Amino acid sequence: MGDTVVAPAPLKPASESTPGPPGNNGGSLLSVITEGVGELSVIDPEVAQKACQEVLQKVKLSHGGVASSDRGTPLELVNGDGVDGEIRCLDDPPTGIREEDDETEATVASGTAKGARRRRQNNSAKQSWLLRLFESKLFDISMAISYLYNSKEPGVQAYIGNRLFCFRNEDVDFYLPQLLNMYVHMDEDVGDAIKPYIVHRCRQSVDFSLQCALLLGAYSSDMHISTQRHSRGTKLRRLILSDELKPAHRKRELPSLSPAPDTGLSPSKRTHQRSKSDATASISLSSSLKRTASNPKVESEDEPVRLAPEREFIKSLMAIGKRLATLPTKEQKTQRLISELSLLNHKLPARVWLPTAGFDHHVVRVPHTQAVVLNSKDKAPYLIYVEVLECENFDTTSVPARIPENRIRSTRSVENLPECGISHEQRAGSFSTVPNYDNDDEAWSVDDIGELQVELPEMHTNSCDNISQFSVDSITSQESKEPVFIAAGDIRRRLSEQLAHTPTAFKRDPEDPSAVALKEPWQEKVRRIREGSPYGHLPNWRLLSVIVKCGDDLRQELLAFQVLKQLQSIWEQERVPLWIKPYKILVISADSGMIEPVVNAVSIHQVKKQSQLSLLDYFLQEHGSYTTEAFLSAQRNFVQSCAGYCLVCYLLQVKDRHNGNILLDAEGHIIHIDFGFILSSSPRNLGFETSAFKLTTEFVDVMGGLDGDMFNYYKMLMLQGLIAARKHMDKVVQIVEIMQQGCRRCSGASPATASGPVMTVAQVICSQLPCFHGSSTIRNLKERFHMSMTEEQLQLLVEQMVDGSMRSITTKLYDGFQYLTNGIM
Amino acid sequence: MKRRALGPCGTPWARGRVGRGREYRREPGAAEASVASGASGPGNGAGGGGGAWGSTEDPSKCSPRFWEELFLMKVNLEYLEGKLESLDGEELMKIKDNINCLFQHCIQALGEEHPIRVVNALQTLCALIRGVHQKNKSTSGFDIINMLMGFDKAELCMKNLMESLDSLLCAEGSESLKSLCLKLLLCLVTVTDNISQNTILEYVMINSIFEAILQILSHPPSRREHGYDAVVLLALLVNYRKYESVNPYIVKLSIVDDEATLNGMGLVIAQALSEYNRQYKDKEEEHQSGFFSALTNMVGSMFIADAHEKISVQTNEAILLALYEAVHLNRNFITVLAQSHPEMGLVTTPVSPAPTAPATPLGTTPPSSDVISSVELPLDADVQTSNLLITFLKYSSIVMQDTKDEHRLHSGKLCLIILTCIAEDQYANAFLHDDNMNFRVNLHRMPMRHRKKAADKNLPCRPLVCAVLDLMVEFIVTHMMKEFPMDLYVRCIQVVHKLLCYQKKCRVRLHYTWRELWSALINLLKFLMSNETVLLAKHNIFTLALMIVNLFNMFITYGDTFLPTPSSYDELYYEIIRMHQSFDNLYSMVLRLSTNAGQWKEAASKVTHALVNIRAIINHFNPKIESYAAVNHISQLSEEQVLEVVRANYDTLTLKLQDGLDQYERYSEQHKEAAFFKELVRSISTNVRRNLAFHTLSQEVLLKEFSTIS
Repeated sequence: MGDTVVAPAPLKPASESTPGPPGNNGGSLLSVITEGVGELSVIDPEVAQKACQEVLQKVKLSHGGVASSDRGTPLELVNGDGVDGEIRCLDDPPTGIREEDDETEATVASGTAKGARRRRQNNSAKQSWLLRLFESKLFDISMAISYLYNSKEPGVQAYIGNRLFCFRNEDVDFYLPQLLNMYVHMDEDVGDAIKPYIVHRCRQSVDFSLQCALLLGAYSSDMHISTQRHSRGTKLRRLILSDELKPAHRKRELPSLSPAPDTGLSPSKRTHQRSKSDATASISLSSSLKRTASNPKVESEDEPVRLAPEREFIKSLMAIGKRLATLPTKEQKTQRLISELSLLNHKLPARVWLPTAGFDHHVVRVPHTQAVVLNSKDKAPYLIYVEVLECENFDTTSVPARIPENRIRSTRSVENLPECGISHEQRAGSFSTVPNYDNDDEAWSVDDIGELQVELPEMHTNSCDNISQFSVDSITSQESKEPVFIAAGDIRRRLSEQLAHTPTAFKRDPEDPSAVALKEPWQEKVRRIREGSPYGHLPNWRLLSVIVKCGDDLRQELLAFQVLKQLQSIWEQERVPLWIKPYKILVISADSGMIEPVVNAVSIHQVKKQSQLSLLDYFLQEHGSYTTEAFLSAQRNFVQSCAGYCLVCYLLQVKDRHNGNILLDAEGHIIHIDFGFILSSSPRNLGFETSAFKLTTEFVDVMGGLDGDMFNYYKMLMLQGLIAARKHMDKVVQIVEIMQQGCRRCSGASPATASGPVMTVAQVICSQLPCFHGSSTIRNLKERFHMSMTEEQLQLLVEQMVDGSMRSITTKLYDGFQYLTNGIM
Repeated sequence: MKRRALGPCGTPWARGRVGRGREYRREPGAAEASVASGASGPGNGAGGGGGAWGSTEDPSKCSPRFWEELFLMKVNLEYLEGKLESLDGEELMKIKDNINCLFQHCIQALGEEHPIRVVNALQTLCALIRGVHQKNKSTSGFDIINMLMGFDKAELCMKNLMESLDSLLCAEGSESLKSLCLKLLLCLVTVTDNISQNTILEYVMINSIFEAILQILSHPPSRREHGYDAVVLLALLVNYRKYESVNPYIVKLSIVDDEATLNGMGLVIAQALSEYNRQYKDKEEEHQSGFFSALTNMVGSMFIADAHEKISVQTNEAILLALYEAVHLNRNFITVLAQSHPEMGLVTTPVSPAPTAPATPLGTTPPSSDVISSVELPLDADVQTSNLLITFLKYSSIVMQDTKDEHRLHSGKLCLIILTCIAEDQYANAFLHDDNMNFRVNLHRMPMRHRKKAADKNLPCRPLVCAVLDLMVEFIVTHMMKEFPMDLYVRCIQVVHKLLCYQKKCRVRLHYTWRELWSALINLLKFLMSNETVLLAKHNIFTLALMIVNLFNMFITYGDTFLPTPSSYDELYYEIIRMHQSFDNLYSMVLRLSTNAGQWKEAASKVTHALVNIRAIINHFNPKIESYAAVNHISQLSEEQVLEVVRANYDTLTLKLQDGLDQYERYSEQHKEAAFFKELVRSISTNVRRNLAFHTLSQEVLLKEFSTIS
């Protein structure tokens, strides 16, 4: 993830010594072996050797010659270490297991290694086949996770733990919750297998460290304090938080100093050995910048704190949420939020980032006036927008200098002048001409109002006739002596036209402050905030948004996100045009977290309340009449998303589906949010609301009625989607299953139907997540995929479900199901 | 023997056994005697009578530790000042050398280690400066410098003084010591009525203490203690010869961009203003809950206005001046206006009548900006967040209620000037119009006979500009009186105009009930006409009338760019048509005055031209409405019916585009306002001087603090 430049070059042929300095053994296997001899002496090298001898032999014989071209298409790998990791797995997996073991774990390890040997002998035949699978190019991360979870062989586990290094970072990241949950809750072999990889990645990325630390904290929180395993999760967490895992060898560098070609695939040695003079040059550069007393954030350059600022940042966001919850009205909450955030702004920019973003950046400002409190009964989730500056590498780029709020005024005029009709390059070029903000003369010479340029929506400037131009700029009749006449009717007409052209905005409602903010088109909002920001002129300026939730357990949301993501990729792979929108989740603790908001979307509840229209009429209002291109594509989007979410709702048994939890975006998609009740849990755990999914007549109306083509298309999509999902059921079930690992509270639960090893390991049924309430969660989930049915039967099933869902609303008659309405309009 | 001479001759210090830490209060009787003896015998003046004062001999000669010991003794300020005052010019000249010597030694003592010496030296300096000035009000500043320090040493002397004060203020020392330093500076700045005639300040200009003031403001603890004094001092220093020479404080203040400092300054101002607001509110409630409510029921609402006039809390022009200077000079300060802080008025603080003791800010500490640390605001659900601008608007609404006495007139005018500056600033406008920053601003409304006091509770939350407009409307409605505050009205209309210009340029469609503004403006026109003769004797009412008419022209010709809805444009026409009588009258009046060659010919004819569109509207629609009524046989058309006619007949109406409607002259202090500010600063100086109480910093407190004499 952008770490390519500095990633230590892992294993090379043994003769070639890696130049990596000591301490980065997470990346360089070789250095571990040489350095770690003393520590590792407890482990019998022979054991390790034997445990994998077979593996090595087989592989070398069968694949050796073509290994690199055969497998995994390494060239496609983005991560620098991916290529080398591939080789390493081949060469030396067993020693790799131990590469990160410290003294504390060493003794334990020796015991398990013995066990491994014993078992290995029994299963050697099976192992070889397994190995061929592992080495085949079909072996992907999903399978790896599955084997890691199911296999009881420490050797296999260790091998997979090692093999993790070969996968792309992004792929493994997806399974991070599973990995960490296994680490926390499963036996030591698994933990030992996983740990090196985790530690290695933590060294590479501070973002990864944070995510790990947060997840470890969250997944450990359910356990009894006394349990030993608990301490293993918290131990790792402590290790990460202690900042010991920071790459000691890295020197700080300014991105401007490293030319772009450097960021190629191969980690260049030049970056590693970036001399101290470079670093010091950058220091002197930054310190020569005029720093005001309000911003004495001159970091100690040689010892940057990695996680502390970010944790403080998160902590203050959470503290705000807690304080807001004490206020009685929405209005007070909003005002308080704005004032709290304005104080927070004083400390920005800082070495902090938003973990939900997909790129490296520094947070520079929170446009506090844009923040809104979301609708919630007793808690106070809120939505903030965050201005960030994108950077190549979070660790090495220095924190941007603070620009005072009021400097915006000089930037505005510069930015707006050539706004229309210039190419992107030109515009980028014009950014460089932005005056230096430390030059006060520059800032002062700008005359506020005189220079005030108004950025009009292009529509106005282009479509306005001559007369309307008069209305925009008052002309001086000294130039044209003749008086200018305008028709009153024109003024009135322009007024109504301009109001009609502006997209339908929602009315401000003190009880629902978020509606207006969410309705505003994202691009519009970005433009507006950029215009008002002192950092807006910077080319790497980006706007992010995040929902801060305090007092809610987001672990279930995270699980739902993973399942949705998995389904999305399955449908994509199978070319089923179903549309769903998984939104990113950051679990901060067992009762707090952050959510990446869906942009350009408002809840159906808000739509109906604000517009006072039926959903269909709202579509017509927003997108145009039935036959227009816009309406048709919005309708198609609606159908595809509706079908997707119906399947999701069915498979995951998503409950609590009221209109406040269903969003509608600007393109007509629906998006379900709030997965607080899934699988075995439902509101008040009564098990009502048992229709397969929510399908109201209003939805059907938008689709064009029960007899319409689109409705048939909808049902067909459902069928295709279900078939596709069924094909990859394991991938979906696996995600849920692993997360079920938790406390041993219900250890006596009955082993379910599925195949042997799964359930023997999964005696531990009950995690504290409410969605795993009861013992049959996984079984029921699997049943919903209807593996045994023919496609015809499946089609019938879909028909039945659609029918049932429809009828459960329209006629309030239930077909063998009980249905309970939950306050839908 | 010298020691003996010092005692009975009435030195300003307590006589005592110096060096043993024992001090005695001088007997008042002895003081009287010694003053008398000093004054009576001129021959004695050299010897015993004047004591250390009159004496040409140097008491320090025979006692090398004389000065060290002297400053350990308590100063009798009253005596010292009184003594200096009592001497006439010649006598004073005689002891000039002694004064010079004492002055110098005071300055030297400021560098002393032991704070008690510093305290005594500071107090002595205050007394000397005040005493010499009070005696020589008429004499030039140069003489005073000569008297205090001597021309030859003055420069070095003042340099040392300012440097010592600077280091005392910036050091980590005692708070009361710092406070005393500020008091000395305030004393120095305010000794003359006209600050620009205070020649000593030339040295304060050269040896700037600006940085020390900023440091006080940027550090929360010191700001809490001394913020008020520091801000007032700064405001006064900025006004020293501001129009004649380059004042370094103006230059420096205008380029401050440190946020912590500016916020600190904003907080001090906000605190002082909200303290005023709170006091006013308390008094108001007192009035309402007392005998008054009972009385109201009996006598009726006739007395409401009278009763409320009694509620007057001393306005605080010094702090308002500071706000003005900050807003006017420093464009970075504008952001501070919007800086949120918890509502100060709700924080329970001891009622302090003297403005010199600002309440401790709660939770307003600007966060230390090193690493992110959790922001701590008081966890009080009742605390409503506010900002300086809101506080200022509330303050203005109180101050503007009553402009009868001069102080309040000054305050009201200054409020409007500040609003003018704000309305011209683009950044300020941006947050005034920010749709996301909604606030509920409880403006004070004058109780009037014909309207009820609006309930505060159901105020909507709106962008701040609505509150500004409300305030302007409120002012327009409530000040149509015989003593017509023409100047304030002009400023008020200007503020509205500037806001409209911004809205037009930035196409901000504010959801404001413009109707209130329109009817207020029309009522004002009506008032102008009905009091034409009285007002014309004093004012040029045509400039005001022209501005009002042009506001309407702005709505008529540019309404499409900033009105919120098409129907609001219809309403504008409705309002004009409904009140056409006023416009007709105005037209006939200005026509009359512009045709006969009088004093007002030109001014009146301008209004005539400006009225062209309004007259076109009236002449266009009135016949249409009448015919509509005739056709439909309705005698009284409803509003809806009139609007219908209006909507149907836009297309046949042609308007003339007028020049420069959206242009305005920027505010400039230099020439037009100079006299006002001179006068204002004079009154502030007097006020500050009067309030400067050395005795508030009582000797006991200091003694307790510095009781350990090493």
